Amino acid sequence: MIKGRFDDENLKWIPVLIIVVFLFPFLLKSATFSYKYYLYILNIAGIYIILTVGLDILSGFTGLMSLGHAAFLAIGAYTSAILVDQVGLPFELSLIITPIIVGLFGFVIGFPALRIEGMYLGLTTMGFGFIVKRLIIAFREWTGGSGGLHVSKATFFGITINNDWDNYFMIYTFAILAIIIARRIVKSKLGRAFMAIRDSEQAAQASGINLAKYKMMSFFISGMFAGFAGVLFAHTSHFISTDHFDILLSILFIVMVLVGGVGSIYGAVLGTLFIVLMENMFIPLFEDGMSQFVHLEAGDFQVFIFGLIMLIFIIFQPLGLYGMWLKTRIYWKIFPFNPRKRFT
Amino acid sequence: MSDLLSGLIQESISGIALGCIYALIALGFTLIYKATEVVNFAQGEIMMVGAYVNFFFVTQFAGMVGGLNGWVFLAALFCSTIFAVLFGIVLDLIISRPLKDEPVFSIIMATISLAIILRSLTAMIAGPISLVPVSPFGDSTIKVGGIVISVLDLAIIISAIILMGIFFFFFNKTRWGIAMKATSEDSEAAQLMGIPVKNVYRMVWVFAAIVGIISGVLLAPRMALLDTTMSYLGLKAFPAAILGGFGSIPGAVVGGIILGIIETVSMGTLSFHFEWIKEINDIIVWIVLIAVLMIRPDGLFGIAKVKRV
Repeated sequence: MIKGRFDDENLKWIPVLIIVVFLFPFLLKSATFSYKYYLYILNIAGIYIILTVGLDILSGFTGLMSLGHAAFLAIGAYTSAILVDQVGLPFELSLIITPIIVGLFGFVIGFPALRIEGMYLGLTTMGFGFIVKRLIIAFREWTGGSGGLHVSKATFFGITINNDWDNYFMIYTFAILAIIIARRIVKSKLGRAFMAIRDSEQAAQASGINLAKYKMMSFFISGMFAGFAGVLFAHTSHFISTDHFDILLSILFIVMVLVGGVGSIYGAVLGTLFIVLMENMFIPLFEDGMSQFVHLEAGDFQVFIFGLIMLIFIIFQPLGLYGMWLKTRIYWKIFPFNPRKRFT
Repeated sequence: MSDLLSGLIQESISGIALGCIYALIALGFTLIYKATEVVNFAQGEIMMVGAYVNFFFVTQFAGMVGGLNGWVFLAALFCSTIFAVLFGIVLDLIISRPLKDEPVFSIIMATISLAIILRSLTAMIAGPISLVPVSPFGDSTIKVGGIVISVLDLAIIISAIILMGIFFFFFNKTRWGIAMKATSEDSEAAQLMGIPVKNVYRMVWVFAAIVGIISGVLLAPRMALLDTTMSYLGLKAFPAAILGGFGSIPGAVVGGIILGIIETVSMGTLSFHFEWIKEINDIIVWIVLIAVLMIRPDGLFGIAKVKRV
């Protein structure tokens, strides 16, 4: 998307950021008494970050739309729950096997993507979401049907991950790993092929990129990220049911990527943090204020705000938060000599 | 066996009525797609808004007159149509104008966000209680040779046919209809020929809103309760449009009716005879969608597009 003149990468601050991420819970603990609640919210954000980074590789970099990523998350969560609790595999093994299984599901959905594009693909993945949700209910011997399923706690090489405090460190270790891996993928030959497909399929094909292979690959990778998020989701929330993996969640993932900025990994991270924090911390405040005047059902106002945010971002700021950041950065770098009408 | 057969016929008629509603919704976004190449994911929500607005007018007028009668429903329909015109103009201003040359991805996301805005706004305004819709025909039925047909279904089918007739006439015979056709063919050339393309776009959105709102008015009495989940039916009209070939108006109608029949029949008689259908009857349209897209992506009536480089 934006490739400014100053897009040279500065990697020095990344170790600092990682240290800050791991020191943050200690800071939070000393600051407030209700730190456990904030950690819980941050954990959700961390799991979603893993997923949206994968979704960004698919939608932002390859230009393939998916309205069914909640289904991938669901498959990951249920597969891991079944593998660990009913088959008896160790958690560490499930962490490797489940993403591959979900990636294969992505492969299957990627197959129609070879022939169709744009909104047809959006509809196919949306239909896939509905079908998965119904099939999970149908296989009720394993999945517990619509009643939901209890999942055991994660044990990582003998250490049991008990509460939100432990979850935080596990989730954010994997989230940072996911971000680094996604950055490497995007900067590699694979990522360049994805971007070529996004920008022009014909040109990509003409320069020797195997469209079928790379599209399937993109779905596979995206599915793997989603499956990974699903495993963590199942074993940190301890209870999963099909109600959670709604079509609205799929749309929310797209909103996260879109608000953050399509086609940048950091954008996906920013957007996810923004939306999850909005959802859990700021909107409830508004809702309390609003409920004095109108009677509100839980969730309606929230969904309304998300719709509004998405519409405003699409119309006024299609590059998202990350694009805004890049623009301001370039603006300040050349500050006194800004040409007019440069940033339109 | 005759029991099975009469059941099948009965459900097919009910399915045709449902299919007509799918066809009307599909007609709504086919119109928009043909003229502006915007895929409107909010058509189901427009339908839901229509059902609510009509319900509001019916209760208001019934309160004024002091009872329900035919005129109340007619007046409510009239007011809903006027509302639809205004609604279409507003949608054109919000969605169509600012996003004219954006990529498909952003337009789809914009209409999806419009859809969730409309759904949550309706839920906020209407309150948490589900409303019980009123039907102008009550529960009356006609019996033809052992087959029971509800009057409501017949009325839906007839009004859908009338509406489609009007559209057919409008598109092929009137000045504005031909202008719309020209715009959908090539908007730049149409503009050069002196067609006011912006007005045509507004007109298209107004028409889509009218179709959507009338389909909501027709659908509401079929529902047991009026609530916002009704808008998911709008999503099911997409498989209908794709089955018929996206962007083709007869395709939308035929696809809608086929899917309506498939859905109703699988939900009714067949599910008593085959146990496993019960598990899949609410996702059957999506299975059909994926099957169609894998086997014949252009649908029954669609024309294969040639990619231009």
